[in-house]
Amino acid sequence: MKTKIILLIVLLIIVSPVFGIILADKVGYHEPLDIAAEKLGLSEESSIEYHTPFEDYSFPGLDPITGYILSGFLGVVIILGIGRILRSLVKSSE
Amino acid sequence: MVRHLHIPDGFLDTYWIAATYAITIVYYGFIGAKEKITFSPEKISLVTTLAAAIFVAQMLNWPIPGGTSLHFLGSALAGILLGPALGSITMALVLLVQTIVFHDGGITALGANILNMGIVGVLVGYYIYKLGLKLLSGLSENRRIFISAFLAGWISVFLAGVVCGVEIGLSPRFPYGVLVTIPVMGGWHLLLGIIEGVITGLVVSYIAVKSPELLRAGGGVK
Repeated sequence: MKTKIILLIVLLIIVSPVFGIILADKVGYHEPLDIAAEKLGLSEESSIEYHTPFEDYSFPGLDPITGYILSGFLGVVIILGIGRILRSLVKSSE
Repeated sequence: MVRHLHIPDGFLDTYWIAATYAITIVYYGFIGAKEKITFSPEKISLVTTLAAAIFVAQMLNWPIPGGTSLHFLGSALAGILLGPALGSITMALVLLVQTIVFHDGGITALGANILNMGIVGVLVGYYIYKLGLKLLSGLSENRRIFISAFLAGWISVFLAGVVCGVEIGLSPRFPYGVLVTIPVMGGWHLLLGIIEGVITGLVVSYIAVKSPELLRAGGGVK
């Protein structure tokens, strides 16, 4: 079951730019809450300055599609990595 | 790009930032104290594997011309598979990574986003599913599971949208009040939630047939 889930995750990451980037560009998509913020003059920076190199699922210097795919892998590796660290902590405390 | 239920920075004022963070911290503190003795490596694996799958599923963002998008949220699924406590932890992990690594959802709104999707969405999904199984006891096992999971997914997204509307509407930083934000957020998510219901129904039905032990292992609904 676990191998199947991992395969499914990899497959979904590879097709994700079709939805997240390509179709979004085609329909000129912007998130409704982002549009609302822009229209109302609410600045995302108004309350806190926060920057990450992977802002909005992109990779610095890479095209959006490759960046989106790599972001998918990065997120999964971080989540599973946290799991690995927690497991070893639990095991060592037993 | 910020997903449609993820509140960005700048929407909530200081009071709402503090209040939503406080509720979230108290809730997770309570779960942490309750689950402490039972955190096994197996449970951690279940949480992180499901979190990774939900993180990726949320990246499949289907844009709808006219200004919104459709993607699977996963709160009800997490609650049904792993139970309210581990389900909430799964969603919090997804939101934490989305916010800190990709700035999808604001840092100041993280408390509110976890409250909506990690607490409200998960608890509503879990309890609707449980109630559905009970009320539909006259139906065949497969139908009972699919319909209950469908309703759980649908209603959890709807109510998470309503609570999101309440938070934005009550925050003085956002110029529209709850009379506008609740019908808009609630109305949209009542529609978007149907797809969530179908996906939740299909995934839970599949798991119930193919590996029912997964439902038992996580402490979700039996």
